[in-house]
Amino acid sequence: MPAQSTTALPTPQSIEAYVSRHAKQVKNAQRHRHGGMESVRVADYAGHHIVVRTRYEIAVDGRMLMGHMGVTNDGNVHYHPVPNLAFPSAVELVKKLIDIFPDDFSRKRRGRMRMARRTTHHR
Amino acid sequence: MAAATRPNLLSSTVARQKFAQGVNLLKAEFTGPTTADLGIPGPTSQVSTYDLFVVWHHTAMSTMTPPNQGDRNAAHRGPVFCPWHRFMLRQLELNLQRVLNDQTFGLPYWNWAADGQKSASQQKKSKVWAGNAMGGSGQPVKTGPFRFKSGDPTAFRVRVEANVDGQLVQTNHGLRRTLGSEVAKLPNKADTNNVLAMTPYDASPWDTSSSGLRNRLEGWAPPSAPALHNRVHVWVGGDMLPSSSPNDPVFYMNHCNVDRIWEAWLQEHGRTYLPPQSAPLFLKGHRINDLMASLVSAPMRPADVLDMTSGYVYDSLVV
Repeated sequence: MPAQSTTALPTPQSIEAYVSRHAKQVKNAQRHRHGGMESVRVADYAGHHIVVRTRYEIAVDGRMLMGHMGVTNDGNVHYHPVPNLAFPSAVELVKKLIDIFPDDFSRKRRGRMRMARRTTHHR
Repeated sequence: MAAATRPNLLSSTVARQKFAQGVNLLKAEFTGPTTADLGIPGPTSQVSTYDLFVVWHHTAMSTMTPPNQGDRNAAHRGPVFCPWHRFMLRQLELNLQRVLNDQTFGLPYWNWAADGQKSASQQKKSKVWAGNAMGGSGQPVKTGPFRFKSGDPTAFRVRVEANVDGQLVQTNHGLRRTLGSEVAKLPNKADTNNVLAMTPYDASPWDTSSSGLRNRLEGWAPPSAPALHNRVHVWVGGDMLPSSSPNDPVFYMNHCNVDRIWEAWLQEHGRTYLPPQSAPLFLKGHRINDLMASLVSAPMRPADVLDMTSGYVYDSLVV
């Protein structure tokens, strides 16, 4: 595949065509849900191969968090929806999520989401 | 065509005005893609050209490289961080040139380390946040070219954002910023000078625990994470925090400065990149000739963006 020119100006038509070509990747990312979040850390030490699997299930007011959570080799946890932050503990991370995404934890929003799920299940 | 010059945001009134004008034009441009085309739930709506960049950034961030590990993704937390954002910024710059009908336009950068020399309270009063620059803090922002006007549906609004589950959703609210509330101070010149001395570009294990320039510049490395790039996102706060952070046009000012620092490093240490193409397959997406995640154009490779001087140069590489 030829690489993109660094100087050629795009056009509305080229944008539409490329978005159409790449839309599948966006849709795949949109469909990718986690829920039970497993993080795998791998390291080699003194000739030994180390694998650490960590599984998180996090619920706030009974609602499962579905984003991707990871643990780095230094033990910090991170969560995709807040990509520039790392936390010493998952509890601290979730507290920050509640601050950053107040709409997602509001009673009104959660009520609407429950209603939407119920409607979907009845179809 | 001569290369565009990217100026300091504070030294060019014209660049500030053109940037704001261009962003608002791209916000109002709809070339055809819809939320349904992109799997964004809710009623079908057209997605503006500006918001396609938000979608692109979020999607790259949601693409793990490789899928069986939890650190590197297709744009962050690994070697491709610098070249991918250079690719993204260049595409935005070309689109701004198109809608402004001005191929000399260069993205302005925010030299945040200069503001980082000031006291915490003075940092929030920087001219960057004036009404004739990027506007100020607020939920929503009520000053500047991206201010919220409740009765005006054509005013700047956030239309697509990431939710707490990491899914893109439709929304309709004014831009949000909480300057200096998450962390008190910006990175300073000691931080940027230190990063220029870092070698090599990146190193095994090629993630957030690596030594080298990339990890330090991205902001995962000590002494005080979030540092540098990450710290700027966190300091601005609001819409700069989630993976949909390009919703705030200041995203581009931050990354333009990150790109400027990388350019200063490339000129000092040579236009080199790691890992090479011979690196193991688990680094696919981060090797020098791997195609980088794309949405609005054909993809590029890290090798394609190591020398962009035919397209743009900076007015200064003093960081």
